[in-house]
Amino acid sequence: MTGHLSEPLRACLPVREELDIVLARTCARELARRGGFPDAATEAAATAISEVARNIIVHAGMGEILLEVVKERGRRELVVLACDRGPGIPDLDRAMLDGYSTAGGLGLGLSSARRLMDEFHVVSRVGKGTVVTMKKWAA
Amino acid sequence: MADTTFAGTDLPRRAEIEIDEQEVNRRKQFLEFRADDAEALKSLEPIAEQYADPVIEDLYRHFLSFDETGGFFRDPKVLERVKRLQREYFVRLTEGDYGADYVRNRLGIGTVHERIDLAPKWYLGAYSFYLRAVATRLLEAFGKEPQKAFSAFLSLMKLVFLDIGLAVETYIAARDRTMRKQQEAIRELSTPVLQIRDRLLLLPIIGVIDTHRARLITESLLRSIRANRARVVVMDVTGVATVDSKVAQHILQAVAAARLMGASVIVTGLSSNVAQSLVALGIDLGTLNTAGDLQGGIEDAERILGYRVVRAAETGRGPQLAERR
Ligand SMILES: Nc1ncnc2c1ncn2[C@@H]1O[C@H](COP(=O)(O)OP(=O)(O)O)[C@@H](O)[C@H]1O
Ligand SMILES: [Mg+2]
Repeated sequence: MTGHLSEPLRACLPVREELDIVLARTCARELARRGGFPDAATEAAATAISEVARNIIVHAGMGEILLEVVKERGRRELVVLACDRGPGIPDLDRAMLDGYSTAGGLGLGLSSARRLMDEFHVVSRVGKGTVVTMKKWAA
Repeated sequence: MADTTFAGTDLPRRAEIEIDEQEVNRRKQFLEFRADDAEALKSLEPIAEQYADPVIEDLYRHFLSFDETGGFFRDPKVLERVKRLQREYFVRLTEGDYGADYVRNRLGIGTVHERIDLAPKWYLGAYSFYLRAVATRLLEAFGKEPQKAFSAFLSLMKLVFLDIGLAVETYIAARDRTMRKQQEAIRELSTPVLQIRDRLLLLPIIGVIDTHRARLITESLLRSIRANRARVVVMDVTGVATVDSKVAQHILQAVAAARLMGASVIVTGLSSNVAQSLVALGIDLGTLNTAGDLQGGIEDAERILGYRVVRAAETGRGPQLAERR
């Protein structure tokens, strides 16, 4: 599909349990497919979405994922927003390091999500919550 | 609305859910079903005895005129029994004593409906038919006192809604249980460990690896390694679409546990997308024995075990394995 986007390619998904991670991935794949994204980009985004969705469950308890395919400067982008009202990340620089985990994980989630996506941005406030914004370009 | 004999067999009548006296009372409070409602219903009993049969005839004529509901009563013997039980139920509605026993009985019947696959839409439709039929009969019976008929009808409606609530919950509980069972079954099915040669196991992983499944996979892998005294395991991940850091962690843990038990693991079927994710994860693939595809993995495994693949032409028989000495 290469024509212009006639319908809004957008979804908002609650994230509470492991199954929601799968649903978020599936939904992202579907949006990316309809947005004409190549396979490799789609799968990279699906993996990054897995990471931020899992972080919501493990570190914040619950939250939401917003997905949207937009056209920006003539380029199609999959925009992912992962939001929660959890405890926030006190030391963002450390959290972004490979291998840093406060929960006995591999500590590779945030850092690899950044590598898998084309744009990556975290805003977090202790006691308020966390918003991860990521983008994957179609080409 | 009728009883177990819908299907003509002796299905067990144990309910899926338990509701205690306190819960029953709470529901009645919400429905505003009070002692005077129970009294009002009881006073209807002689009238109910009279209208039960004609209402049942109307109701079953209605059922039989729809394939979806008529299908349950093709057998005249079944029809006979169901009508009798239906009559019991209608009369029961006006016998008073709507406590825990009453509720337990209603729950059991809901379970049966779910089991014979009577969809709630028909079940609810039948209640609507019943209420309308009874409303007409009550108006007739009370003649010059339609307010009394109306008030009795309201009491009956409260009780019927109590019953409907129980039935709907039974449907949901039964569905939930079926789904849980199916999920378990899928998990079991999708974590087979196959012995393909002496000391060589194949573990094909398909679908989503969540934490629970990862544990199952590792457990059954370790059990099989011990039981088969396996030395090599080929773990095929062709069926895994996404490997994020958690899934990678599960895989690495399974590999490490297998190693501790003296088996080496060869991972096969990493798609290029998954391989790229692993690179982005920064996971050192060097620590992992990988092979491009399942065939290659099995050949590598055979090499480790000291087998060598012999072409058919060399033996004059089908392709087979020869022990390398
Ligand atoms: N949504 C979140 N809310 C609170 N803390 C988070 C969130 N996401 C990540 N973190 C913090 O950042 C750390 C690193 O995250 P990540 O790289 O995904 O590693 P892991 O999840 O394996 O611990 C986490 O251990 C946690 O302390
Ligand atoms: Mg993480």
